[in-house]
Amino acid sequence: MLQKREKVLLLRTFQGRTLRIVREHYLRPSVPCNSPLCPQPAACRNDGKLLSSDVTHYMIPDWKVVQDYLEILEFPELKGIIFMQTACQTVQHQRGRRQYNKLRNLLKDARHDCILFANEFQQHCYLPRERGESMEKWQTRSIYNAAVWYFHHCQDRMPIVMVTEDKEAIQQYGSETEGVFVISFKFLRNFKRFKMKKKKPNKEEARRECTQKSSSLHSLQAIFCSNEMQNYLDNFWPDLKAAHELCDSILQSQRERENESQESHGKEYAEHLPLEVLEAGIKSGRYIQGILNVNKHRAQMEAFVRLQGASCKDSGLLSDILIHGMKARNRSIHGDVVVVELLPRNEWKGRTAALCENDSEDKALGDPPSEPMPTGRVVGILQKNWRDYVVTFPSKEEVQSQGKNAQKILVTPWDYRIPKIRISTQQAEALQDFRVVVRIDSWEATSLYPNGHFVRVLGRIGDLEGEIATILVENSISVVPFSEAQMCEMPVNTPGNPWKVSPEEERERKDLRETHLVFSIDPKGCEDVDDTLSVRTLTNGNLELGVHIADVTHFVPPNSYIDIEARTRATTYYLADRRYDMLPSILSADLCSLLGGVDRYAVSVIWELDKTSYEIKKVWYGRTIIRSAYKLFYEAAQELLDGNFHIVDDIPEFRDLDEKSKQAKLEELVWAIGKLTDIARHIRAKRDHCGALELEGVEIRVQLDEKKNIHDLIPKQPLEVHETVAECMILANHWVAKKIWESFPHQALLRQHPPPHQEFFSELRECAKAKGFFIDTRSNKTLADSLDNANDPNDPIVNRLLRSMATQAMSNALYFSTGSCAEEEFHHYGLALDKYTHFTSPIRRYSDIVVHRLLMAAISKDKKTEIKDNLFSNKDLEELCRHINNRNRAAQHSQKQSTELFQCMYFKDKDPDNEERCISDGVIYSIRTNGVLVFIPRFGIKGAAYLRNKDGLVISCGSDSRSEWKPGSLQRFQNKITSTTTGGESVTFHLFDHVTVRISVQASRCHSDTIRLEIISNKPYMIPDTELFHQSSLLLKSDLVKEVTRSVEEAQLAQEVKVNVIQEDYQKYCQTKGRSLYTLLEEIRDLALLDVSNSYGM
Amino acid sequence: MAGLELLSDQGYRVDGRRAGELRKIQARMGVFAQADGSAYIEQGNTKALAVVYGPHEIRGSRARALPDRALVNCQYSSATFSTGERKRRPHGDRKSCEMGLQLRQTFEAAILTQLHPRSQIDIYVQVLQADGGTYAACVNAATLAVLDAGIPMRDFVCACSAGFVDNTALADLSHVEEAAGGPQLALALLPASGQIALLEMDARLHEDHLEQVLEAAARAARDVHTLLDRVVRQHVREASILLGD
Repeated sequence: MLQKREKVLLLRTFQGRTLRIVREHYLRPSVPCNSPLCPQPAACRNDGKLLSSDVTHYMIPDWKVVQDYLEILEFPELKGIIFMQTACQTVQHQRGRRQYNKLRNLLKDARHDCILFANEFQQHCYLPRERGESMEKWQTRSIYNAAVWYFHHCQDRMPIVMVTEDKEAIQQYGSETEGVFVISFKFLRNFKRFKMKKKKPNKEEARRECTQKSSSLHSLQAIFCSNEMQNYLDNFWPDLKAAHELCDSILQSQRERENESQESHGKEYAEHLPLEVLEAGIKSGRYIQGILNVNKHRAQMEAFVRLQGASCKDSGLLSDILIHGMKARNRSIHGDVVVVELLPRNEWKGRTAALCENDSEDKALGDPPSEPMPTGRVVGILQKNWRDYVVTFPSKEEVQSQGKNAQKILVTPWDYRIPKIRISTQQAEALQDFRVVVRIDSWEATSLYPNGHFVRVLGRIGDLEGEIATILVENSISVVPFSEAQMCEMPVNTPGNPWKVSPEEERERKDLRETHLVFSIDPKGCEDVDDTLSVRTLTNGNLELGVHIADVTHFVPPNSYIDIEARTRATTYYLADRRYDMLPSILSADLCSLLGGVDRYAVSVIWELDKTSYEIKKVWYGRTIIRSAYKLFYEAAQELLDGNFHIVDDIPEFRDLDEKSKQAKLEELVWAIGKLTDIARHIRAKRDHCGALELEGVEIRVQLDEKKNIHDLIPKQPLEVHETVAECMILANHWVAKKIWESFPHQALLRQHPPPHQEFFSELRECAKAKGFFIDTRSNKTLADSLDNANDPNDPIVNRLLRSMATQAMSNALYFSTGSCAEEEFHHYGLALDKYTHFTSPIRRYSDIVVHRLLMAAISKDKKTEIKDNLFSNKDLEELCRHINNRNRAAQHSQKQSTELFQCMYFKDKDPDNEERCISDGVIYSIRTNGVLVFIPRFGIKGAAYLRNKDGLVISCGSDSRSEWKPGSLQRFQNKITSTTTGGESVTFHLFDHVTVRISVQASRCHSDTIRLEIISNKPYMIPDTELFHQSSLLLKSDLVKEVTRSVEEAQLAQEVKVNVIQEDYQKYCQTKGRSLYTLLEEIRDLALLDVSNSYGM
Repeated sequence: MAGLELLSDQGYRVDGRRAGELRKIQARMGVFAQADGSAYIEQGNTKALAVVYGPHEIRGSRARALPDRALVNCQYSSATFSTGERKRRPHGDRKSCEMGLQLRQTFEAAILTQLHPRSQIDIYVQVLQADGGTYAACVNAATLAVLDAGIPMRDFVCACSAGFVDNTALADLSHVEEAAGGPQLALALLPASGQIALLEMDARLHEDHLEQVLEAAARAARDVHTLLDRVVRQHVREASILLGD
């Protein structure tokens, strides 16, 4: 059935000789056409993605169009696109892996209506290349030929539009076959505009007609008859403005590039070495491969290359490699995978320890840098990690100073680490006050800056919505509202048509509604209840503990639209003032939420425990139906546990009961909570006994300490109920991890937390020594113990800072696939468990959804009914883990950045000289050569304060401890810094000293605003108003957000009444904003590397 | 440089085959009159010629004779023009010697050597064009040649290679796929009994995947058997017509 053909290739060898190679090429009578119009779908073996049937035509882009305008083809509005294999292969060969992968993902994505047609393997579509025919001509000819075949294959029922940029092709093929139209994509636009105007009415009509009828050959023809020069975008998508703009900007940047390559002037950078040389160099150890990491604070000068994989072990280098200056960085951009050559030792440089302002370009610094570290230069880039960048156009004055070349404009990215980008556009003036998204196209060796093109506008500078959008784009978070197709998959639950437990499910699932007392403990007002608990005594006297988690996977089938969307989002994003859900609210706040008094599906883990020793005897996993009896909040549960029953009146479930049944039910509940606490205590003691003392147990207290200081709602000690619930969740996660790992040793999703590098603890140790504490960092147990001991009775902040330093020194906890790691590496350092995963929050984490599916497959495996089809293979799972880890990091960053945004907006309107709030107490937690880093506990802000200002004056404090700027010098020691004026006065700042700082906002046009700190006194700040001191910083924080939001909203209301959908949503469903204590605990448990400003923020 | 995509998302290999499909096989028996048995085979662009002499008396040193069975002597050579880069020596290098040994092992397992004690069977194989799967082509050619010589065998020996790319086993690798450097498994099978005459693999492959690759190679070898069987029957039919039987 296959036909063999031979392809002769002429290849050039490395020595320059030509080699004649004969390769086989097999053709087959049928390849999948993936069209719903296919007359013999069985013969074509059409499986998987089909083109949708409601399009008026199919569009086949020529190879050149796919290469240059892929971004436009990515618009979901463009439907019915057939990519020919020939076109895909040219993309692969000429544009490299990155572009090709983009195309592959597009083809895989079920949301885009496009398919690949393997025309070169179809016996009628394949055309051998003729002698003397150029590659380009042959490709176009092949694609046209395939288009014609496809047209006839669909029995001439669907007109096909081939889009090409080749004028000759349009002339040659334009009128060859009726029904297959060959037109241009966009070019020749200006030329024909006047022509179109004349015939517009006619054409408009025809187009309308064409959209109405499904079989529309004639109407299409009518369009094409109306004018001879055609162009796809104008004809079919005149309203898709974004696509037009994007197209213009791509065209322009292309033209620029062509011009540039013609007039190659002096080279700014060394050429990159060819890939073979790089690969050979890496193998031989001459070059080193790593990821470029630009120093945010000195983006012009310093970048570091973090070593990757094998090269790390071989080279014997422990630290990162410094890349000093833009020349050495050689056109690589933050995040690229680069190849580095080490410089000889005498050219090595040290990193600068001085604080510095970002704007100052290449300022000569007086201070001697610290000891030299390995320094290198970039010789090649293995993988470019260019993404979309948010930039700001220069203001009018700056444009004028740039002068003659007004067409090309240097724009400044929001991210300091990205170099300026050259954009050619005519809209510069109009875009001045906006945040704009651009994409980098190229960076030639001849050009000082990379070339890019303009993509879209985000919003005005300084506008809250615009700035939030900026943060989202910078973290590559895209949160469009859920589409109609996705919402269609959702079950219905309206008062008229309530959702019910279906009888089939009732048969399949274990029914716990009558037998178990199930209840949930969550923060007050929480509506997305992931988890519930149950405990009871069995007939044999043993105890039965159950953890019941919302069964999200029941509502989200694998590879459904909603699943794909959730996978892309990977997590719910919590910003300071809003939330972007992973799942639509019908699931997250209603059907999946285990609310009190309603029937819900759940996935349960149920243990049988020995009655006295609480030893786990048996474990059962499975799907269940539950009805939560009580939806308690933490404080109420704690009160019940402590025996204070007055709280009962606050629990709605008890309200309508008569006295007697109330008493009985109350006793039952109190017994359950008490037993649960008892069990949790035992489990924890057992873990502690095994040498596992968790760091986070202490951390929790820190968090709560903070609450305690200021929040009179929260009692002094952390509630034991928190730990109880957390312990049960950890237990469930741990057991599920064990189960799925046993069933799927190579494709289970677990979570690891690698032990930290000892050298990262050195700063912590030194800081502690300054206060006279010794920190033993050899194991997690000793570390936690010594952190406990390092407590200054006079200053609780010291302990807090030390802990945050310890957290910073640790690596992130990560998801991984068990097939790609050795079993020893599964260990979770923070929790001291050998296997751990995330199972308990499927509503807001995609990883939990994957784990749920794995668990379901594992159970069915036990029952000998395999449902393995929908599980990820090791390779896919690893890819997915990388994606989820990545998204989690983005979620953390965006949360942090949005908090900072709100902080800045809060302080922006205040006058720093007069306003009381802008002066605050701060603690020095790190010393640099020209300043100190200060932590302000009241606002949870971390920032730098300079001891030497821009004019070279140093700080000095008189007898009244007020600071002044005077000429003098600074001297830095390990634990202190001394500033001596020429007059002989000197002032010394020690680590952990309290000082008074003034907070002001440094506004920036192109970047985010930053908080500036200025030391105004070397004495602790005396609070004039005690009430203010007792005000909770947390309270203040939420006030802060509210205040900023309110002022923004007021401003908006003045213009127009605009309802913030998310805000409304929030009020409607009252969901937790990720600040439930449990999530807080989870977060610390993850030991994520959050800045203190963040983890104590919001 | 984007490396060649050996298996596309749509499941096509570089040359248009799907994962389990063989290359085109063409074969002829009895191509030389002066030898006892001979055969020529094309597997895609890999072309091999096999010649068999024997069983005959031991040539050279008598000491080599085996008292209870025949001695199988295999020699492998590949033409200087068979590969992309011209070779210096057609035979006698390490690789050829190894290939000769492997062939010998394979055929000692298949030929009923105990029927011809103290005698010798010579198998000479030459590769005219090497485009991947040379071992398999040699075994298949030699099988036909041994059959042509009328030497009794337990069964056909059918060989095929298999590789492993993107979690999928590929049957019958071409040169492009071999050169990519993934694991490659060569299997010689006695199809009727399903016994393995020779199994060889150079690169590392995870144990979990071995079964899958082995299964693919075995299925391909059975497919080869069907084709070779057809060739033999065709040859016998033609010969009997010529003999006027």
